[in-house]
Amino acid sequence: MSFKKCKDIILGIAMLAFGGVYTYFAQQIRILKINKSFAGYAGARIIPTLLGVLLMVLGLLCLIQGVLKLKKMKNQPKEAFDKAGTMAVVLTFACIVGYIMALPELGFCLSTVLYLFLQMLVMAPKEKRNYALFAIVAVVFTAFVFVAFRIGLTQLLPRGIIESLLGF
Amino acid sequence: MSTLQLIGGGFGTVLTPTGIFLMFIGVAVGIVFGALPGLSATMAIALFLPVTYAMASTDAMTLLMALFIGAISGGLISAILLHIPGTPSSVATCFDGHPLVKKGQAAKALGVGVVFSFIGTVFSTVLLMFIAPEIAKVALNFGQYEFFSIAIFSLTMIATLSSGNVVKGVMSGVIGFMFSTVGTDAIEGVPRFTFEMASLKGGFDMLAVMIGLFAVGEIISAAQESRQPAGELMAQPSMKGIKGFGFTMKEFWGQMVNCIRSGIIGMGIGILPGIGGGTSNVLAYTVAKNSDKHPEEFGTGRIDGLVASETANNATIGGAMVPLLTLGIPGDTTTAMLLGALTLHGLTPGPLLFQNQAEVVYGIFAAMLICSVIMLFMEFFGLRIFVKLLTIPKYILLPCIFVLCGIGAYALKNNMTQVYACLIFGALGFGFKKFDIPSTPFILGFILGPLAESNYRRGMIRTKGSFLPFLQSPIAIVFLAIAAIVLVMAATKPMRAKAKAKKAAAKAAD
Repeated sequence: MSFKKCKDIILGIAMLAFGGVYTYFAQQIRILKINKSFAGYAGARIIPTLLGVLLMVLGLLCLIQGVLKLKKMKNQPKEAFDKAGTMAVVLTFACIVGYIMALPELGFCLSTVLYLFLQMLVMAPKEKRNYALFAIVAVVFTAFVFVAFRIGLTQLLPRGIIESLLGF
Repeated sequence: MSTLQLIGGGFGTVLTPTGIFLMFIGVAVGIVFGALPGLSATMAIALFLPVTYAMASTDAMTLLMALFIGAISGGLISAILLHIPGTPSSVATCFDGHPLVKKGQAAKALGVGVVFSFIGTVFSTVLLMFIAPEIAKVALNFGQYEFFSIAIFSLTMIATLSSGNVVKGVMSGVIGFMFSTVGTDAIEGVPRFTFEMASLKGGFDMLAVMIGLFAVGEIISAAQESRQPAGELMAQPSMKGIKGFGFTMKEFWGQMVNCIRSGIIGMGIGILPGIGGGTSNVLAYTVAKNSDKHPEEFGTGRIDGLVASETANNATIGGAMVPLLTLGIPGDTTTAMLLGALTLHGLTPGPLLFQNQAEVVYGIFAAMLICSVIMLFMEFFGLRIFVKLLTIPKYILLPCIFVLCGIGAYALKNNMTQVYACLIFGALGFGFKKFDIPSTPFILGFILGPLAESNYRRGMIRTKGSFLPFLQSPIAIVFLAIAAIVLVMAATKPMRAKAKAKKAAAKAAD
């Protein structure tokens, strides 16, 4: 079964589960003794509980819609899997995660240069990959942003080896 | 002294060489901050506040107002060109602005946005000059019941925004509301969904939500498109044959009703504390869409959507200044920052400010008008440069934009918490795209959820558990009734469409 055909079913189940977990944690919100008098109608749990239940109802509706749709789409042909596109998405997401994780460890300058270079490489079509241009853009842009924000506007940025060497 | 004399005095106060210089610098920097996603009007004002310490109060407020106006207007540039709203105020600008760019009409889209941004600011400033104290008195009548009803009314707009699938639209709004409950409860002070993590106690910031949902989403989409031959097919913008702002006078006059209506919505929302431009642009867009003969054409590149969003978000500026100056109540984080600036310079906002410091107050109003004109000219001459941005390949432009987004998120608290949050919302945004869930209701739920919740709970505590007083307030009942009608109309829309189609088929058969 293709993803397109059963995505409403997957979404419905995911929302039922998320709503359930959220409602469970909503019940764990502490009720202070002094607030017990209104906890039943205006306490900190009221709205989250309502939202959790509402999301479960919506999840159920989505699940029903998905099942009905599946019956209608049974005879539709399978769509082709976009391998190159999926790979680009996975790599882009990996670049973003890597950048965010590297920021506090390597500091702004080093992690930004690395991220920009790798991200441009991942996003550019094969025939347009220009390593020298990407490296220059990554270094010049990072230097410009660092000077403008850290020096010009005295905005704090994550510190690392380069920032320490520069005395920031 | 009459109001006109006071206004004249205000112009005299700010039209000094220093004042003019500060306004030019402020608007230019503001436009840059607004145009770059991740950098906001609040951040621009926060970063420039220390610069104003040594200035006279009028000069200081002139610079800060210039930054405010420039930043709100600048948000349209990235919303239109990159499909990433520069500020929460330009979320709805993306809907019809970017489709116009895809059609190769980037200059027209920017021109419409710039002109109606200008009209929105001037409209609200002029109203502010003449009737600010009177409007403030009306706003004072709004209590918990009224705010709750307005929040509910605005939330029901979610149903009309999600024209494709109401269940998914409402789902998106509910999830947005859920994320807004993370952090310390505003009423009882107890932690909610923080899982004993200190970094979650302050909750998620709107900017992190926006960067995650839009910027990360856009980079991922661009990466996917770059591997497909069709990805390169976006029409290249051309300035050939473009005169003035890129649209005709007929198109301009055709938008007047939409413009006035959106200006009133923007101003009205701005006056009410806690709502702001993030809501007014979406609300004005929805109203424009619902009152049009062809609502299905919205989102495909209609200038009506662009006019509604840009007029409303700029009109919110004048609106937001009403409670700030007359009552000392800031409507959002940006006006809270301005309140800090006023206090810092020895000015106490409130009714007495208009009597004791009239020259500063009317100086602020005059600065707002002059800054709007400067903004119009700067963006007009910048139009050609902004359009050139599109000639930079996406694989170079978007990663650079993302770095600026990261700085914006880091600057919120000078730590990594909100940067990590961007990642969470980025993943969520990607999931939304894959499952065809609209992201705008999420943003509305996130902004309006806390407003609805806190006012509902405060109201219920006041009435000791009775909901009846909510229905006894005339203002509240009007908004709740409209909300109910909107919901019923949205829920029955597919049935009505089916019946209409059946009728048309029967007529054709006859």
